[in-house]
This record gives sequence, C-alpha cells and structure tokens, in this order.
Amino acid sequence: MGGVSRYEIGQNAYIKLVLHALKHKTSAANGVLLGRLSGSDASPVVEVTDSVPLFHSQIGVLAPLEIALIMIEEHYGAQGLSIVGYFHANERFDDAELGNIAKNIGDHIYKNLPQAALLLLDNKKLEALSKQKEMAPVMQLFTKDASKSWKLVGSDGSSRLLLKEPSANIVLMDYISSGKWMDIIDFDDHLDDISKDWLNSELFK
Amino acid sequence: MVSKTEEAEVNRLESQADNGGGGEWEYLSLVRKLKLRRPDKVLKHGLTILNDPKKRSSLGHDEWTLYEQVAIAAMDCHCLDVAQDCIKVLQKKFPESKRVGRLEAMLLEAKGSWAEAEKAYLSLLEDNPLDQVILKRRVALTKAQGDISGAIQRLSEYLEVFMADHEAWRELAEIYVSLQMYKQAAFCYEELILSQPMIPLYHLAYADVLYTLGGLENLQTAKKYYASTIDLTGGKNNRALFGVCLCTFAVAQLTKGRYKEDKESPELQSLAAAALEKDYKLRAPSKLSLLGSTLRSLKLSS
Repeated sequence: MGGVSRYEIGQNAYIKLVLHALKHKTSAANGVLLGRLSGSDASPVVEVTDSVPLFHSQIGVLAPLEIALIMIEEHYGAQGLSIVGYFHANERFDDAELGNIAKNIGDHIYKNLPQAALLLLDNKKLEALSKQKEMAPVMQLFTKDASKSWKLVGSDGSSRLLLKEPSANIVLMDYISSGKWMDIIDFDDHLDDISKDWLNSELFK
Repeated sequence: MVSKTEEAEVNRLESQADNGGGGEWEYLSLVRKLKLRRPDKVLKHGLTILNDPKKRSSLGHDEWTLYEQVAIAAMDCHCLDVAQDCIKVLQKKFPESKRVGRLEAMLLEAKGSWAEAEKAYLSLLEDNPLDQVILKRRVALTKAQGDISGAIQRLSEYLEVFMADHEAWRELAEIYVSLQMYKQAAFCYEELILSQPMIPLYHLAYADVLYTLGGLENLQTAKKYYASTIDLTGGKNNRALFGVCLCTFAVAQLTKGRYKEDKESPELQSLAAAALEKDYKLRAPSKLSLLGSTLRSLKLSS
C-alpha cells in the first residue's frame, strides 16, 4: 500500500465548505470533496482540488444524495477528478463527534478509494480564527485504518491535513467579514430552484 | 411554511431596509407574522428602530413587542448583552410578567446555564403546566445539551398532549432522520399527512424516508407519494420528479427476472424525465447534458 497519505486541500474547495456551514448555522451541512490521488507510492498525496456543498436539511435521506452524486461524478469525471472524500458540519457547536451518516457516506466513498477522507468542521478552531492566526485547516480529518473504522488523524500532532495555499485562512476570514457565505449555493438550493448553480462557478470571480 | 410570494415580499423589504430605504418596521412585522428565523437582520434593523427615540415612540405599544423580538434575535446571534438590555427594559415595564420570565429563562439557555434555565422553565410551568412555548423550549434545552434521546422523549410526551402541533411533528421527524431512525420518521410524516393531506411537503418528505428505507413495498409506496407531490404541486417539484425516476429504477433492479406483468409501466418515469428535461432546458441549460446522462443512468433497462 505504500506510505501514509497526506491530504492537501485547495483554497477554493476549503472556503466553499466552511462558507456553506456558516450560511446554515442552525443545521448540519455537508459536502463532497473532489480531487485526485498523486505523489508517489512512498509518499501518496490526496489532492482535494474542489468541493461541492450538498445539503443543509434532511441530511440522511438518500434520494437527493443519489441524484447529487450521479451528477457530480459525471461532471467531475470528465475533468479527470473523482470523489475523494466527504465534509460534514454538525448542527451543534459543542458536537465534535463524527456521526453515523457521515460514516455511512464515507464507507460508500471508501469502496472506490481506500484513502477516502472524512472532514469534520472544527467549530472551536473556526471561532478562534478571528482571534489568532492559524495555518491549519479548521477541520478534523478521519480516515479508515486497517481496523476498518474511521479514526481521527493527527491527534498525535502530525499534520496530515494541509492547506495548499498558506493564506487560505486569511482569505476565509475576509470572506466571512464580507458576508460572502450568503452567495454559496448547495445542491439543496439547486433542487429547490434549478437555476441556482451548485458548481458555484461565479462565486470567486 | 412560507409561500413563494410571501418569501419574495419579505426579501424585498429586507433589501430595502439593508440599502437604507427604510421600512424596517414593516419588515420586522412580516418576519414576526411568518415566523421566520433571520436573526442577524432582525437584530440590525430592530436596533435601528430601538436606538432612535423618535422611531421608538412612533411604535406606541408595539415598542414592547419589538424589544421581545430583538431580544430573541440577539440571543440567536449570541449578542447576549443586547438581549440582556432588551429584557431589562421589558422587566421594568412589565414586572412579574410570565412572558418576560420566559425571555429570562431563554437568556439562561443562551448563556449555556442549562440547570438554571431548566429550573426557570419548571417554575414557570408550575403556574401554567400547558404552556406550549415553554414545553417546547425544554425540548430545545435538552437538544442543545446534546441529549438527543432525551429531546425525543420530551417531544414525544409533548405530542401526546398537543398532537395537532404540526411543527412539532416535523421537528421530531427531522430528529429521527438525523439519527437514521427512518421508520419512526415515517410515522411522524404519516401523522402529518393524515391531518393535512394537501400539503405536498409532507408527501415529499414521507416519500424520501420510504425511499431511504428501501425494499420493494416501500419503494412502490414512495413512488406513489412522489407522484402525489407532483400532483399537488402542478408538476413543479423537481425533487419529486427525480424521486419518481429513482423509484422506478430501484424497483426495476429489485424485480429483475420476474414476470413481465409484475413490472411497472414506464410511463410515469418517462413523463417525469420529460418534465425535468423541459425545466432544465428552460432554466438551467448549462446543466441539461448532465441531467441527460443522469436520466440515462436511471433508465429502465430490460
């Protein structure tokens, strides 16, 4: 299998997910991570190059998720990218647990990619961003280990989840203060009004 | 639940107020009437009025309603000082008021003083054990502490008494879905459909839960409820249209190899697919080809 994987998340992918969670503060929010496997066998890297915010209500019903995944895989497949992970933001501030819905979706992704990443928004780290500089992403990384259960990565201090652009948190804070999260569109929004673009192609223009 | 016209109106008033065009009171009144949750805007525009003595006095008796509305919005935005100030004003004007007592207890909740908040609610309930707002706040209190099974229990007890409270049934259903307790969620939606059979939202939510449960019977029923949603919404609900396609595909997978008579006719799926294609062509043309390949991957293949 080679060395232990590193996970590198691109700025736009990262910011979209956090802004989505901020737009829907009173509920859980989730999204998928798109990217590719690169690096060498000895030093594999999962590059998360994009993300699609999915839902902010009734997370746990399958029909909208299945439609979203078919469309997302089709769109990104044409660009040579695939689903490499899943992002979840819990409803409550104090809740740092990786719930079963996240694990189930993670299991599904794991079937195609053993290095699949589950990212959980770290609310305390997000809150702290306004008070101190932070180079690391405000998320916790879970991967499936040999015991086939999702384990938190990096609690030993090793940083395996990195922001590709070191200034990503600064850009994020900028967007937060300008209320950019209002412009984020997720798949829920699209299903309610198909003229809304879940690709968020105009977001960073 | 809010209609599209109502939502458009409140959004119009909101941007008007945002852009300095006035009309804050109309906006705040509509938000109150529609029971919307927009705490940052309510806080901003509410304070604009409250901090201006002239605007405040022109409200007359409504001034106190506004203090209450702003207090709650402030708590929602975690601006606890503002909330405290509003509550102080109300305490002065209405000493011994139960309604203000409720706000005080909510502030304790907002501060995370769970035990004190619980005590405050219980004491308010002594005099009025059937106060629905307080009973529901106790559910919220339990949920906020992360005790989801406790919240389910309290909410279920509440619903035994107040079984016509649709919002409470919806909340319970959503809690069940978040815990993947789909059978229990289905039960809640059944109650809602029984009492309000013409509301498409309940049919759709029920269908979604049944689809998630899976199995031939559930899928067939889900398809019926996606269909009734389409009926009730004049064919405009894309979630239901997709739902019909998904159900048809899933049923076909399960009945592969059975006699042809058992198989469902593909008409409903074709109609749904055509409706989706028409809508995407009109309103999301850049996604039309994605829709096409999605529908193709769901087509019945014998």
